[in-house]
Amino acid sequence: MLDIRIAEIGTFVIYLTDVALLLLLVGLKTIHRSRMRDHDRRRQEYLGVLSRHVSYQDCTDPITPRMAGDSAFLDALIDVREVLSGYELANLEAIVAEHGVSAGLVRRLASPFPLGRRLRAAVALAEIGDKTTAPAMIHHLSDREPDVRVECARGLARLKWTAAIDDIVARFAIEEAPVRARFADSLVGFGSKATWPLLAYARVNHRAEDAGPALALRTIGRIRDLAAADSIHQILEEGPSLEVTIASVEALGVIASPYSVEKVEPLLHDDRWQVRAKSASALGQISEPSSVPWLSAALRDVNFWVRRNAASALAQVPTGIEALYDALEDADPYAADAAAEALADAGELVAARRRVSAGSSGDEPLLAHMESEA
Amino acid sequence: MPKILVADDSETIRMLLRTALGRAGYEVETANDGPTAHSMAKDGGFDLIILDQLMPGLLGLDVIEQLRDDGVEAPVLMLTGVDDGTTAAESLDRGAVDYIRKPFDMNELLARIKSRL
Repeated sequence: MLDIRIAEIGTFVIYLTDVALLLLLVGLKTIHRSRMRDHDRRRQEYLGVLSRHVSYQDCTDPITPRMAGDSAFLDALIDVREVLSGYELANLEAIVAEHGVSAGLVRRLASPFPLGRRLRAAVALAEIGDKTTAPAMIHHLSDREPDVRVECARGLARLKWTAAIDDIVARFAIEEAPVRARFADSLVGFGSKATWPLLAYARVNHRAEDAGPALALRTIGRIRDLAAADSIHQILEEGPSLEVTIASVEALGVIASPYSVEKVEPLLHDDRWQVRAKSASALGQISEPSSVPWLSAALRDVNFWVRRNAASALAQVPTGIEALYDALEDADPYAADAAAEALADAGELVAARRRVSAGSSGDEPLLAHMESEA
Repeated sequence: MPKILVADDSETIRMLLRTALGRAGYEVETANDGPTAHSMAKDGGFDLIILDQLMPGLLGLDVIEQLRDDGVEAPVLMLTGVDDGTTAAESLDRGAVDYIRKPFDMNELLARIKSRL
C-alpha cells in the first residue's frame, strides 16, 4: 500500500516538473520572439535614420550614443554598407567614425566577455570595413578564440589591408587544418598581393611538412596569378612529397599558364598514379594542343583514374576530340573504353546518334563501342 | 513629379531609394516581391521602374517580360546583386534599358534615372 502511494507521488512530481519545464520553455520562447520583434522594429527605424544621413549631408536626425551602441543599429549599418558604394559610403564611414561605433566594437573584442559577444564584435568589424580598426584586427589574429582570428583575417582581407598579409600567412602556418582553410579564403581575397608570401612559405617549409605548404599552393592556384607559375615549377623540380606535388600540379592547372605544359607533361610518367592522374587533369585545364600526344599515350596507363582523367582532358583540349575518336580503334580495350566515355560525356554520343539517324556515316565505331558496353 | 516604382525584396534598398529618390524630387512607391511589382507596374502609371532580379514569387526578368506582354512601356532599370554577364544581357534583351550591379553608387543611379526621364 505504502509502495503504491510513493509511486503515485513520484509520478505526480515528474508530471509537475514536466509542466514547469514546458511553461519555462514557452515563456523563454515568447520573450525571445518579443525581443526579436523589438530588435527588428529598431533596426527598421535606424535604417530610416541612416538612409536620411547618407542621402542628405545636412541631415539633422540625431544619432545618440545609445543608438550607436545598439546591436540593431549595427545590423542596420552593416545592411546599408552592403549595398552602397561611392560617395554615400564615405558618408556612412563618417557616421561610423563620428559616433565611435568601431571603437566600441574594438573595446568589446578586447574585453573578457564570453566568445559569443566577442565573436559578434569581430564579425561586425569585418563587415563594417573601417580602416582605423586594422591594427586591432591584426592584434586579434592571435586571439585565444579561433573564430575571432578567422573573422579578423576576413576583415583585413575585405579592407585589402596588405600590410597584414605577412601576419596572416604567419598564422596560416601554425593554425589547425579547419582554421587554416578559412585563413586561406581570406588570403585569396588579397589577390596577387598574397602570392609571394604564400610562395615563400611553401618553398621554405615543403620539405618539413605537407599540409600547410600544399594548402598554400592550392591557395595560390585560386588566386590565379600567372606570375606564380615559374616558382611552382621550381618547387616541382625540388622533388617534393606526394601531397605537395599534387597541390603544385593542381595549382598549375588552375593558373593555366602555357609555360607549365612542358613541366607537367613529364609527370604523366611519374611512378605515383595520383601524380599522373592529377597531371592529366591539369593538362586538360591548361588546354594546349601540344599535350594531345602525351594525353593520348596516357589513355593506355595501367591505372583507371589516369586513363579516365586523360580522356576527360583530351575532351577539353583543341584537337583532343579527334584524338579520342582515334583511340576508339586502339588495340588496348581500356584506352578505347576511356575514350568512348569521355566522348559520351562531351555530348559526342548524342551528336553521333543524330548524325547517323540523319543518314551520315563515320560515327559507327563510337556507337558500336557504346552498344557493346551496354 | 515623375513617378518611380522600386521593386526589391531588401528592405534596406527600398528604404534607401525611397529616401534618396524622394530627395531628388521623384514620387516613389515600393514593392517587395515579383507579383506585387508586376501588378503595381501594370496599373500604376509609373514613369520608370527599378527592378531587382532575385525576388520572391517572380524573377525580375519575368516581370519585365510580363510587363512588355501587357503593353507597359515604362523604362525598366535592373538593380541587382547578380553579377553575371548572362543575366545582364538577358535583361537588356527582354527590354530593360539599363543594368546596375549592387553595391551601387547612388549618384550614378540618380544620373542614370535622370537620363531616362
